[in-house]
Amino acid sequence: MALAVRASSLLGPRSRYVLRRSGLAVLVVLGSVTITFLITRLVPSDPAARWAGSRATVEQIAIARERLGLDQPLYVQYTRYLGDLLSGNLGVSFSTKRDIASDLGTLLPATLEPIILATLLAFLVGIPIGVLGAARPGSIFDQVARLVSVVGVSLPTYWLALLLQLLFFKQLNWLPLSGRVSDAIALASPVHPITGFYLLDAVLTGNWTAFGDVALHLVMPTLTLAIYPAGLAIRMTRSAMGDVLAERYVLAARALGIGERQILFRFALRNAILPTITVLGLSFAYSITGALLVEVVFSWPGLGSYTAAAVASLDFPVVVATTLVVTVFYIVVNLIVDLVHALLDPRI
Amino acid sequence: MSDRRLLACGALALSVVMVVAACGGTTPVPSTGSGSPVSGTAGASAPASPVAPQVLVYANPTTFPDLDPSTGFSNDSAVVSNVYETLTRYAPPGSTPQVQPLLATSWSTSADGLTWTFRLRPDVKFHDGTPVNAAAVKYSIERTQKLGQGAAFIWDPVKTITAVDDLTVEFTLSYQAPLDLIASSGYGAWIMSPAATEGKDNGWFNAGHDAGSGPYMIDSYEKDQRAILKRFDGYWGGWRPGQFDTVILKVVEDATARQQMIQSGEADYTYTIPTENLPALKSDPSVKVVANPAYQNLLILLNTAKVPTKDVLVRQALSAAFPYQTVIDSTMAGYATQARGTVPASLIDGADQVPQYSYDLDKAKLLLAQAGYPNGGLPLTLTYTAGDTVEQQAAELFRAELAKIGVDLQVKAMAWEAQWSLAKGDPTKAQDLFMFYWWPSYATPYDFMFNLFHSEKTPNFNLGYYRNPKYDALIDEANTLLSSDRAKAMAEFVAADTILVNDAAAIFVFDQQNIHVIRADLKGFVDNPAYPHVLFAYEVSR
Repeated sequence: MALAVRASSLLGPRSRYVLRRSGLAVLVVLGSVTITFLITRLVPSDPAARWAGSRATVEQIAIARERLGLDQPLYVQYTRYLGDLLSGNLGVSFSTKRDIASDLGTLLPATLEPIILATLLAFLVGIPIGVLGAARPGSIFDQVARLVSVVGVSLPTYWLALLLQLLFFKQLNWLPLSGRVSDAIALASPVHPITGFYLLDAVLTGNWTAFGDVALHLVMPTLTLAIYPAGLAIRMTRSAMGDVLAERYVLAARALGIGERQILFRFALRNAILPTITVLGLSFAYSITGALLVEVVFSWPGLGSYTAAAVASLDFPVVVATTLVVTVFYIVVNLIVDLVHALLDPRI
Repeated sequence: MSDRRLLACGALALSVVMVVAACGGTTPVPSTGSGSPVSGTAGASAPASPVAPQVLVYANPTTFPDLDPSTGFSNDSAVVSNVYETLTRYAPPGSTPQVQPLLATSWSTSADGLTWTFRLRPDVKFHDGTPVNAAAVKYSIERTQKLGQGAAFIWDPVKTITAVDDLTVEFTLSYQAPLDLIASSGYGAWIMSPAATEGKDNGWFNAGHDAGSGPYMIDSYEKDQRAILKRFDGYWGGWRPGQFDTVILKVVEDATARQQMIQSGEADYTYTIPTENLPALKSDPSVKVVANPAYQNLLILLNTAKVPTKDVLVRQALSAAFPYQTVIDSTMAGYATQARGTVPASLIDGADQVPQYSYDLDKAKLLLAQAGYPNGGLPLTLTYTAGDTVEQQAAELFRAELAKIGVDLQVKAMAWEAQWSLAKGDPTKAQDLFMFYWWPSYATPYDFMFNLFHSEKTPNFNLGYYRNPKYDALIDEANTLLSSDRAKAMAEFVAADTILVNDAAAIFVFDQQNIHVIRADLKGFVDNPAYPHVLFAYEVSR
């Protein structure tokens, strides 16, 4: 710690800022791990019986209690858990007895793939609509854009997911109902996971048949997850642009005869985009929790389905581990958003 | 700046690809006609073959928690049962003999019932090519015993296992037990290749490896998504035309999605469809709803070690106050029947001789008055498993009836482990009524009668703390007679079940039905309640 302080005094203000933020982040992670750990121990249940199974014999439960160290005092269990965490060991699932860390290795890419696409989609669609809406305030385009953004922000995602399924699967039969890959592809030319991001893996292995199939499977989950951040992006861009366009330098630029397009996208957007980036970054971090319901609806084998199943079956180690992962993810994305902000805004 | 532009371009390209794929790509969902939809699309993208492969798709509402045949004790049996085999197979109810040969062709037992000899089917190979012999049987069951997890306890009577010769296995028991029946268990009785599994833990199995001798081999396994099974060409039973080459067991946890899949022909077999949707499915000619008595029932143990349920009159009053038919109609849409005693009617011969209580509040009131509670007024606590809506509704309906006769029933939802611990603790502080389902590890009335009501020093499931030496003696004897004198054994089980009903040891709510929804063109499907929600793919065809 002393070393860190001395090191930080040698660094510039921006680096000190990063260090302070990182230190705080570690504290937040530790706090959330501790709280989750305590909650799982306070919930009225018997982890040993949970581990041994609902039909376990008395002997099997006794063996489980000893093996899981549940016969030890709480502080011993806690310090042991923290020690395991530091060595990267997230424990073993009660219901499947599988190593949670390796489970998460395959689940995280599955969850992140549609979330990343959805956020990109929100950027690419939401920002231009917001800009154009602000350019012609009160026009029909602006009205429609506003309506879309209100609907996007307020629509419950699981409901939208069901609606899309009804339309694109049941009525139109254009898109697959659920899952990441269809059975036919899994049989004939399966995706061989390298990164766990199937779209990328299909490209890396040159498996174009699978690529199309994977892309089709991604459409509905991505649209479902994109609607909220897209609505947000429209609103934020629209209002920030509205403010910026009223600034004097915009007037000056217009007076100098600079093209409207250049004014909008080169000058005004540059200054208006910061809050949108912040909000979309946070929504990206937050959507990992929103993916929970969406994944259940689309039978998507990701972190959401995994957590939902763990909560329903009181699989404590999984609940603690996924809470940890989501917390760390949220904090890291938050940190990145702040850094991007700092890079884009010379005042920070 | 240019980096960002590059990123934006990449993202744009991705989105465009997605949209293009959505609009003009291959048709993802096959038409709703008969025939396997998957075979159609697979045929289109796979190298041309003269005959499209036969594919069976099973939409499974749960994941497969543990594919290790020694320790799995859950819905993993849907996969395991097609990949591994047991020595014997319990045939669907009504078959004779009830226990039929599988890896064993014949078996015999000594006069004292303590030595069992199984003769194995010759020339049977595991998927790895090694022979299924006496040594492999000994190894498999000893591995299950040694791991001591899941259903390993079914082998508790077995003291030693000896490979007498290549095809003869001898089991020495420490007490009499129907070993032919135990060997048919859908949990913990699978035979596996020693060569393939020596030193392997359940991580190896759960990575999608298999070591069985069954008709199908695990071709690929994507955890929580699907298991793909391919037929084993060297299967001892041989192959007939029309049988399936490929079986896909898909995990589809959402009930609406499963229903859409079975109706569109994307799946051939599924279960756990909300009962309110069954009428719509029944009127769809492309699917069949198959309802069949299950070896599972719902009951409410009554705490016989605690006032006031200690009193048989109070227990009888509670049994008479339960609204059986209302509960069956409203929670199961009629897909259940009022139970007769603790053994499901389809698992016991002569179930109709076991008496039942009928819903009669006047009688309940009278019994309570006889017990010394003329005005009711006794507070009782019932626990059920949180999240189970059937149990919840049954408990609430019961509470409303009891309120009419002055009994104040407190209904508490608890996690299974929590209510189980509560019941196993001090019986005088435990819940008065404990509601749960029971199903057997292997198909025998004794599983219900022993686990739920046999006297034990520290009960594990006899959590009404029922004690009756006469009952214990009756079921213990019936269990030893089950393989040698089935008729007498069944008569004794019926007598024992009658004792339970007269003592009102529990409220026997209903015998459940398994409801499966299958494609109408799936031939040869017979639900076997001894292996719940298992589809033996080898037995069906299109």
